[in-house]
Amino acid sequence: MGVPFEALIPYGIMLAMFGVSGAALSKIRHMQNGDKRPRHSLDAWDKQMMDRDRRLTGFLRGQSDTVRAPAGFELSNPWRMEPTMT
Amino acid sequence: MAAREPRFNQHVLIDTTPMPANIPKVEEIGASSAPLMSASYFIGARCQPYNDDFMKCKTEANGRGEVECLKEGRKVTRCAASVLDDINKSCLEEFRQHWTCLDNNNQQLWQCRKLERGLNKCVFDNLKLEKTIPGTPANETPVHLRKKQIFAHNAFSQ
Repeated sequence: MGVPFEALIPYGIMLAMFGVSGAALSKIRHMQNGDKRPRHSLDAWDKQMMDRDRRLTGFLRGQSDTVRAPAGFELSNPWRMEPTMT
Repeated sequence: MAAREPRFNQHVLIDTTPMPANIPKVEEIGASSAPLMSASYFIGARCQPYNDDFMKCKTEANGRGEVECLKEGRKVTRCAASVLDDINKSCLEEFRQHWTCLDNNNQQLWQCRKLERGLNKCVFDNLKLEKTIPGTPANETPVHLRKKQIFAHNAFSQ
């Protein structure tokens, strides 16, 4: 008596559906991170450094190893304003 | 001196007032986070006195040292820029491979030890800068010299 493969077809369909959606989400996340693996466990230091990278290169995950910053970099750190009650 | 993140921030203000003319102009460093992480121990090896001076000035100023410590800050920037300049001139390929690996691995140094060994050797040969981890106990191998990195994801990159 062989393996009842017809009974395993639904499991195969579920596996394929989960696999396809997981792979698609993973690919989207990869592309959103500039074709690099996404970062995790970010603390305030890492967020601040990534903000600096964005000011330097224009992309959140962009990197550059030039020695001198582009012109206008020293002025591009903004004061972030918050609304007050008055 | 902002001590907390702004709440409900919608607008930003960019202040384009230039610095006063009596302050010498030093260009900011253009390296982003991964190259800086990769070169950090070499910057520490060459620039330790200037870095210590700056940290001492800031600590003693008790939160008010933005203007008083500008001179030490300029020295730190110039020294770090000189280290990055030398690394770019002599070891550019190893440096690029190492920081690309770090960028893919969440800036975790222990995932990229294989490339780091190549970079350390090249920098030591050309620039005579050696990476030391301060605070290593004397009877233990430093973490970057160990054969097996226990937290690395794959065995190829150790």
